[in-house]
Amino acid sequence: MESRHGRKKEQAESPEALKTREEKETVLVREYLALKDTLKEIVESNKRDNDALKVTTALLRKSPDYYTIWNVRRTILKEGFLDNASDDETANKIYTGELEFVQENLKLNPKSYWMWNHRRWCLESMSQPRWDKELAMVGKFLEMDARNFHGWDYRRYIIRQLDLKDKEAKDKVLERAQSEFDFTITKIHQNFSNYSAWHNRSTLLGKLAEDMSTEEREAIVDNEFDLVKNAIYTDPEDQSAWLYELWLIGREERSISILGAHVISFHPLEIVVAFDETVKMRNPFTVSTRVDHVAIPLEGEWKATGSDSALGSVWIFQQAPGAVYGPTVEIVIFSDDVCAVRAGSKLPAAVCYELETLNQNLDEISGRLGRLVIGQNLMYDVTKRIGPVTGPDGTLETQAVHPKHRVTSLTESGSLDDRIALLEREISAVRELVELEPDCKWPIQILSTLLSELRKTVSIHSTQAKVIDDECIELQEKLITIDPLRQERYEDRRTQLVFDRETLSIIQDSKRFPEIEYSAKQPTNLDLSMRGLTHIPISSYLLHLHTLNLDSNSITSTRFLRNLLNVRRVNLSNNLIEHLEGMQHAPSLEFLTLENNMIAKWEDVVAGFVFWGEGKLARTGGHVKVLLGNNPVVVNEGGEYVLEKRWEDVGKVGVEIQWQSEELRLAEEALLAAEDETGAVGNMVVDGTRRVSATVVEFDAGLAH
Amino acid sequence: MSVPNEETTAVDASAPEFLLDQHVKYIQALDTKKNDLEYWLTEHLRVNGLYWGATALHILGHPDALDQEQIVEYLVKCQHDNGGFGGHIDHDPHILSTLSAVQILITYDRLDAIQVDKVVDYIASLQNEDGSFSGDSWGETDTRFIFCAINCLSLLKKLDDKRLDLQKTIDYVVRCRNFDGGFGSSPGGESHAAQVYVCVGTLTILGALHHVDADQLGWWLSERQLKNGGLNGRPEKLEDVCYSWWVLSSLSMLNRTHWIDAPKLIRFILEAQDTETGGIADRPGNMPDVFHTVFGIAGLSLLGYPGLVAVDPVYCMPRHVIQRIGLIEKH
Repeated sequence: MESRHGRKKEQAESPEALKTREEKETVLVREYLALKDTLKEIVESNKRDNDALKVTTALLRKSPDYYTIWNVRRTILKEGFLDNASDDETANKIYTGELEFVQENLKLNPKSYWMWNHRRWCLESMSQPRWDKELAMVGKFLEMDARNFHGWDYRRYIIRQLDLKDKEAKDKVLERAQSEFDFTITKIHQNFSNYSAWHNRSTLLGKLAEDMSTEEREAIVDNEFDLVKNAIYTDPEDQSAWLYELWLIGREERSISILGAHVISFHPLEIVVAFDETVKMRNPFTVSTRVDHVAIPLEGEWKATGSDSALGSVWIFQQAPGAVYGPTVEIVIFSDDVCAVRAGSKLPAAVCYELETLNQNLDEISGRLGRLVIGQNLMYDVTKRIGPVTGPDGTLETQAVHPKHRVTSLTESGSLDDRIALLEREISAVRELVELEPDCKWPIQILSTLLSELRKTVSIHSTQAKVIDDECIELQEKLITIDPLRQERYEDRRTQLVFDRETLSIIQDSKRFPEIEYSAKQPTNLDLSMRGLTHIPISSYLLHLHTLNLDSNSITSTRFLRNLLNVRRVNLSNNLIEHLEGMQHAPSLEFLTLENNMIAKWEDVVAGFVFWGEGKLARTGGHVKVLLGNNPVVVNEGGEYVLEKRWEDVGKVGVEIQWQSEELRLAEEALLAAEDETGAVGNMVVDGTRRVSATVVEFDAGLAH
Repeated sequence: MSVPNEETTAVDASAPEFLLDQHVKYIQALDTKKNDLEYWLTEHLRVNGLYWGATALHILGHPDALDQEQIVEYLVKCQHDNGGFGGHIDHDPHILSTLSAVQILITYDRLDAIQVDKVVDYIASLQNEDGSFSGDSWGETDTRFIFCAINCLSLLKKLDDKRLDLQKTIDYVVRCRNFDGGFGSSPGGESHAAQVYVCVGTLTILGALHHVDADQLGWWLSERQLKNGGLNGRPEKLEDVCYSWWVLSSLSMLNRTHWIDAPKLIRFILEAQDTETGGIADRPGNMPDVFHTVFGIAGLSLLGYPGLVAVDPVYCMPRHVIQRIGLIEKH
């Protein structure tokens, strides 16, 4: 493909020039097609001689990416020459000729995959390939184009081949890695922006450090930090060194936390387990119950909330019909039962929850699907967390201390103090650069990342954590102004930081650092209005809420609603929502305000309710009132009357939609009341503008689809 | 149903207009340039070229602008006894052209014209011990070929073939992940936006996207956008229209397309159109070709440019086709 890049469009030519060019082109085409015909004869007649080889040479000179000819050429070489070669020397001569042929063509087409490939074939087929010569050759190529990835790939390939030969001689392999490491520094010194060299350095550093002592490692890593400093002071906008710095710092692997497990319904038994991030369930969590003092597995099914049940932060277990449970139910989640969708985090060890089901008040929860239970604080059930537990194979899962502080991607340290010292040193160095170059985005981005790393080392409720959060939020705001191209990335990051800050009261540090869990007392109301949020980063945090105010943010999706099992009132007015989703799984939802959003199409309203039949609300028969005033849909779809009619067409469900804005409705009510007072007949149509403000319509999901 | 994008993305009013009809004509004319040496020198890309052209036309809303019957007949002639397709009649089979052929046939709903089982035999024969796939029987490996294999098998609904070891494939792709969160052509290979696309695409199809740190990789990908709105494939390199696809589709699989400036990218792609002949070049002022034409148009579609048929970010085929064959829920 590369040959198609970068061809300048030529200016219009004179008729004479065009004619001459066309004539020349005709000759070239004729010659080329004649060569191709000859090749066809060769292939068909199985000719494997010098003449045949020459035809492939001529064709490949003209069309180096014609891969079939390379294949034909190798077949001719093999069957016509190499198989009959009397000795290695003869064969080597042939291969050497090929290498020369490739080299001469590579100069013209340094990005042709097929040519590099042919070269590898020659070397791998030779009895004594001269890898040293290859290394010199590719070194020259990287002088012509220091970023040619074919060249770099080939260089690594040569090293791999050599290492393979020296499998038993570790010192030679290390020596070679060192020499390659030195090669990258030459390239970096020629140009600090040589990202290819920085990349290769990252692959070599690990190899070199493998057998080093801690001191040696620290020395080599310090050396790297110095190199980075040199580069970033030379050009603070160059991302190469910054990305390398980030890698050197590494990231502390945060584990997945289980925020809590709770019974939400007794008939049928439903248990919810909440994680602090989206996880994929690899094996269903083990649920057992004690019947007559014997633990037996409890049959049932795990599902994530929402229609896409493979991933989620809130998981619900529902007992199989007819399954019987005793006074306690136990859930065990093994560390490999889940994996985080975000790479890197794991559940550090198996956890077990014991849930008491004895003291359930059957009178209270019978009838309306345990709504009363759902409405309770989730600590309603005595939730005990015990561990460690035995693994599936019967052995006790070791509570091994997982290395938490990844100082670099090649060294890990268990010492928190070392980690803090390193971060503080780097933070102060980057801070200096931020002061020197206040409008340069890379130092600011890296400073923010380093601060976030430092925050992981302190308690989430500490003053230091708060100070860091505030600074990071400010840094994102600065980035939004100086790098508008990536504005929304910074806004998402800012949202995460603001959300973390505002929801601190909901979580607490678990005793098993660095995990978190729900704090003992859960708020039922949360006001997050006017915070500039673009999304809800961890909706499982909000599981307990009854009322959530998100008025005047920049939220684009209602998908998070699916995890809000207890929420009754949500205010999402003045956001950027374009279509409804998620609410069909919010079983307690009663009132949803969506005024002044960007919902433009009828289908995008209906989409929120299409799975209604599968959601709980359909079973409870609950009613939801949705306020949609001042969304483009009202005008786009023909105004309020038409929408009311279309909604009626859909069927029946307990959804009440108000198209008119609440403000207008209240004004009308006031007008009506005033009319009543003056003794006028209510509902009198004065000028034909009065409208039925809200229509209760029945909506049946099954028919809608 | 091929429903054109209705979302009206904020298109800069001063941006050049989109030359839909000219692009259709440009693609239709590609097979008439037999007096140009270039036509013959690119013969090994004929099947790929047909996929690029046919896909572009579908996204442009002109699915019938090429002679479908003639194309299907031609593709049948490109299939070899071992099941693989060559880049042209009499060209050796290769996984690159095999995927293109299958993509065209599925877009046209004409899989009946070929022996599907043989294609699966061919692809299965290319899996290596380490989980990777070779491009052909000569053995070159590259993460591109892994994606071709997995994409093709997924389109054919044959990922459950007993001869395959997909866990090994996932492990291999994960080994190609780098210090910056991106992916290269082989373990140790430098991150490159096109290799990121094939690796993220493979992991998406295989349901193993949790191996990707979306925030880290999304950051790296968003840094591909340059001041002029265009995207490059690696740090400190030039912008190029084809990265509109590789970068954007990867961001889309990671749910982060909004991390770059869409109106600026749209403008850059529109400026790379050839106003005389139609078609899109790698960057403004250069010669157009069908490769950059399709990836420019697909990029515009992914950005919600009005009037274009929606494209699928994983398969780079019309979304309604992926829906028709029932693969849409997978990502």
